[in-house]
Amino acid sequence: MNLKKILSRDTILPELQADTKQGVIEEMVDFLAATGKLTDRTAALRAVLDREAKMSTGMQHGIAIPHGKTDAVNQLLVAVAIKRDGVDFAALDEKPSHIFIMTLSPENHTGPHIQFLAEISKVLSNPELREKLIRTADPDKMLTLLTT
Amino acid sequence: MTEAMTRLVLQLALIITAARLGGYLFSRLRLPAVLGELVAGMVIGPYALGGLIPFHHEPLFALMQGGIPLSPELYGIATVASILLLFLSGLETDLAAFLRYSAVGSLVGIGGLIAAFGLGDLCAVWFGLAENFMDPTALFLGTISTATSVGITARILTEKRKMSSPEGVSILAGAVLDDVLGIVILAIVVGMTKVAGTAGHINWGQIGWIATKAIGFWLVATALGLLLARRITAVFKKFKSPDIITAFCFGLALFLAGLSEMAGLAMIIGAYITGLALSRTDLAHELQERLHGVYTLLVPVFFCTMGMLVDFSAMRGIFVFGLFFSLIAVAAKVIGCGLPAYLTKFNLRGSLRIGLGMLPRGEVALIVAGIGLTAGVITQQVFGVAIMMTLFTTLLAPPLLIQAFKGGTGLRRPEKEPGRETSSIEIELPSPDIAEFLRNRFIRALRREEFYVNRLHHAALAYQVRKDDILFMLVQENSTLRITAAEQHQRVARLMLLEELLSLSDLLDATQKMKSLQSMGSDLVSDLF
Repeated sequence: MNLKKILSRDTILPELQADTKQGVIEEMVDFLAATGKLTDRTAALRAVLDREAKMSTGMQHGIAIPHGKTDAVNQLLVAVAIKRDGVDFAALDEKPSHIFIMTLSPENHTGPHIQFLAEISKVLSNPELREKLIRTADPDKMLTLLTT
Repeated sequence: MTEAMTRLVLQLALIITAARLGGYLFSRLRLPAVLGELVAGMVIGPYALGGLIPFHHEPLFALMQGGIPLSPELYGIATVASILLLFLSGLETDLAAFLRYSAVGSLVGIGGLIAAFGLGDLCAVWFGLAENFMDPTALFLGTISTATSVGITARILTEKRKMSSPEGVSILAGAVLDDVLGIVILAIVVGMTKVAGTAGHINWGQIGWIATKAIGFWLVATALGLLLARRITAVFKKFKSPDIITAFCFGLALFLAGLSEMAGLAMIIGAYITGLALSRTDLAHELQERLHGVYTLLVPVFFCTMGMLVDFSAMRGIFVFGLFFSLIAVAAKVIGCGLPAYLTKFNLRGSLRIGLGMLPRGEVALIVAGIGLTAGVITQQVFGVAIMMTLFTTLLAPPLLIQAFKGGTGLRRPEKEPGRETSSIEIELPSPDIAEFLRNRFIRALRREEFYVNRLHHAALAYQVRKDDILFMLVQENSTLRITAAEQHQRVARLMLLEELLSLSDLLDATQKMKSLQSMGSDLVSDLF
């Protein structure tokens, strides 16, 4: 899977303002809503929160992958965000989360949605790359890190 | 026209039924179904019962002029069946193993070819059918005994699940080369015969051109096929319909088969190349599954019509020569193919398996004999000998092959397959029903992610999951789900399984919203009594 086809400079939010789990999710959904590709902000937010309610998407090594299925989108929408100070995302390793990958995918459409998460998590399994990603404030550099 | 079509339809009715019945009876006798189909063909063919069944004042299977005693319509259907057969053989090939064994396969092919051609040719000289080694009749007998009919071996190996074994792949690699070189030899021999008949000298320039064209097509088509297969299937996949994709892929096989014939090779070679190229894509299993129905209906027609070509009366008089020629044809392949195998990777058992696998001659031998007969180079009797040899080797190979594949490894040193380290993820669920629910949800999710999920026939609840380079196995055993995948492909499997596992909580919520089971049950049975 080619991440370059899905990620672009406009999908990257270099520094999150929110400092709570709920706040991060809302800020990222708002960021996606600003692209104009989201027909119903509330439905999208509910989809992500419902998924979080089942089990937190806070993984290990400061990575979180909040995602949801909703008909508020008609294609895969992706946002990558960074919180340098970290946020308590109820992660598996109980450490603060710094890197957030949000995906919104249409309810009944086929497409490589989870595969995108799998692919980006493979990229993020490199500790050095994670360090660089958190330290950089430049979206262009972040994009290069994620896609090369 | 209508009469010809009515004849064809009636012929097919008889062939399809007889072939299946023959196959069934032979499998009841623990013999390969393919033999039953061949024998059924002999029984209902134009030389036997088929010649006695009346249709519009002549036999239903009337003898045609030329080498092939079948109507063009019926032979056309048999040809499509042979294309399908070799297309599927190509699809089933494990290309990584094919390439690993192509060196041995090539030696096996060349060894068998030299031995079969040389001994076949000399046979004609020994029995006084030809004056010397370069006599056209001798050259034709040599050519007839070269081409291995990989279809019969391929089917037996598929039935026994040995297609991907080192021996199986070597046989296929050898047979492919053998087929290509066999056709090149045919082109050369036909060229030589034609030239010998007129000017008395050999036109090497023309022969060289024919050979270059044949080999060139093979090399270019195989290389392009392997390079472009994924791009081509990516275009096909844009249609999002497995039915359309299957039709396009089979269309491609037919197209390449036609091109292959135009380049002077047999049609089946083009079909095989297409299958081989597509075997590297994620569509391989999907195509096999979707074409399986056509395969079970059409391929017995091919073997049955091959049996129908047998003319018993032509064998009278030259039975001894025929038997000798057949035995020589057996020895030539067993030694010619077995020896290079023994000198490279295989032990005696493996070499014998390969030699026996290369034994059956079939459609190409019959086609070559037909060309010789129509060209007047060989007599009806020699044609009968060719048929006898084809039959002898075809009947002899399957039982010997099945026997030979019993027992241990055929390799001198068992090999470890490189780059295929896999590990398993297992989850234990409270009951088989919940495991089944989760398995179905997981399969649906995989399909939504555009994975191809195919149930494997031999195992109860085992599935192969494929998409591009990603390949893993999903197995349910009672209440356990197990995913076996290479390390790099486990991420996607784990993440997807997690999502579906969490969906169980939705199910739990939904059941809690249901009316009490008692009242639902009461609604169902009220007023029943």
